[in-house]
Amino acid sequence: MKIKAVRRPETPEQARDWARELGEQALYVAGGTGLHFMTDPAEMVAIPLDRIGLRGVECSGRHYRIGALTPLADVMNYRAERWAFHETGRRTATHQIRNISTVGGNICRVFPWCDLPVALLALEATMVLLGDDGYAVPADDYFASQPARRLANGDLLLAVDVPVLEAHMGFGYRKEVICHSGFSLMTVAARLRLEGDRIRDARVAAGAALPFPARLKQVEALLADQPATPDTFARAATEGVREVAWKGREDWSDAYAAHAAAIAVRDALDRALTFARRRDW
Amino acid sequence: MNDPLTLHIRLNGEPRVFAADPDEKLLELLRRHGLKGAKFGCREGVCGACTVLLDGRAVYACLLPACLADGHEVVTIEGVGDQEHPHPFQQALVEAGAVQCGFCIPGMVLSAKALLDENPQPEDEEIREKMDGNLCRCTGYEKIWTALKAVIAAGGGGGEDAS
Repeated sequence: MKIKAVRRPETPEQARDWARELGEQALYVAGGTGLHFMTDPAEMVAIPLDRIGLRGVECSGRHYRIGALTPLADVMNYRAERWAFHETGRRTATHQIRNISTVGGNICRVFPWCDLPVALLALEATMVLLGDDGYAVPADDYFASQPARRLANGDLLLAVDVPVLEAHMGFGYRKEVICHSGFSLMTVAARLRLEGDRIRDARVAAGAALPFPARLKQVEALLADQPATPDTFARAATEGVREVAWKGREDWSDAYAAHAAAIAVRDALDRALTFARRRDW
Repeated sequence: MNDPLTLHIRLNGEPRVFAADPDEKLLELLRRHGLKGAKFGCREGVCGACTVLLDGRAVYACLLPACLADGHEVVTIEGVGDQEHPHPFQQALVEAGAVQCGFCIPGMVLSAKALLDENPQPEDEEIREKMDGNLCRCTGYEKIWTALKAVIAAGGGGGEDAS
């Protein structure tokens, strides 16, 4: 991919209008780190988004709104009650990457190893987009296929709404890498909602060792309405990942990826349970 | 060659105007204009030898499209101290004997500068988080770590450079 020209918008609406005008030649550029992986020979017109705002994290009471152009370093540094997403930012790449890579860039063109989609699926996030007008897309729909295709008509991601974790809800995140700054080989995120000592419901998602991030619905089914115990987690983690078509990356075999998935799911659930039972908020 | 872009960048404290190819990375632009302290290393955002500061934040110049630097402030190693007035971390690196081949050092210095400017007294965990994007293949990091801890022990050294 080669950038043959640059048009710099001042507002989200101007960016959208230019993208629509340019059609297939248009390329939104947020932090620009993803360009390294776009190897097709097409010549594109870059639309850098660094002047249109959309940066920062705000809490509305019911959800955290993360501007699409918020760097991952800012996600990592943000702190608030029952905010769990900073952990995902901290475990992404290196500090130099986190300083320029944006939340939007990470989830608009999703590579298998992308970290945020897995967490956002588990957290039941909602993407806020600009088409003719603003509209919202739940994570389950947004990540049902490559978002870049949805956005090919010039629609622009404005923000991500992450629901505030209510009392008795917990979030856990686990990422397997060869080295701290490496691409993920296995990413799992889990959100548990407890009712007393039982699991009312769970959302569990995985990525990196799958062709595309996805929820682990069999794991979720094995957790729902079960006691929140190590035995429940062990059974869900082993039986629930068995039918999934794991795909090992780098030097991992598919069979080893399946083994690692069971461990990562269990770890993520343990962390989510610990989070849910915290009383120091 | 596509039509060049005109970029306005405050570079090492001086307002500058550059003509850049739309496809050019910031690292290529800087080196084309004689600022060769930032190195071509991995060219894929891993090694940190190309690290510069963009509005005070450490970034990989090898990945950053030059057009994203337009209207922003860039600091390279050429803007951080010199032989007569080194940045405290540069001085500490020399005193600790922490430089071997030196290829990684400009990036190390800039990452450390960003760290110390933001927090002159970082804890070890923050140091690891903020320095995790700079690789050194010679030293094993021990002496670089020693040098950085010495600067922190002496007060952090923020704001004592040419930029």
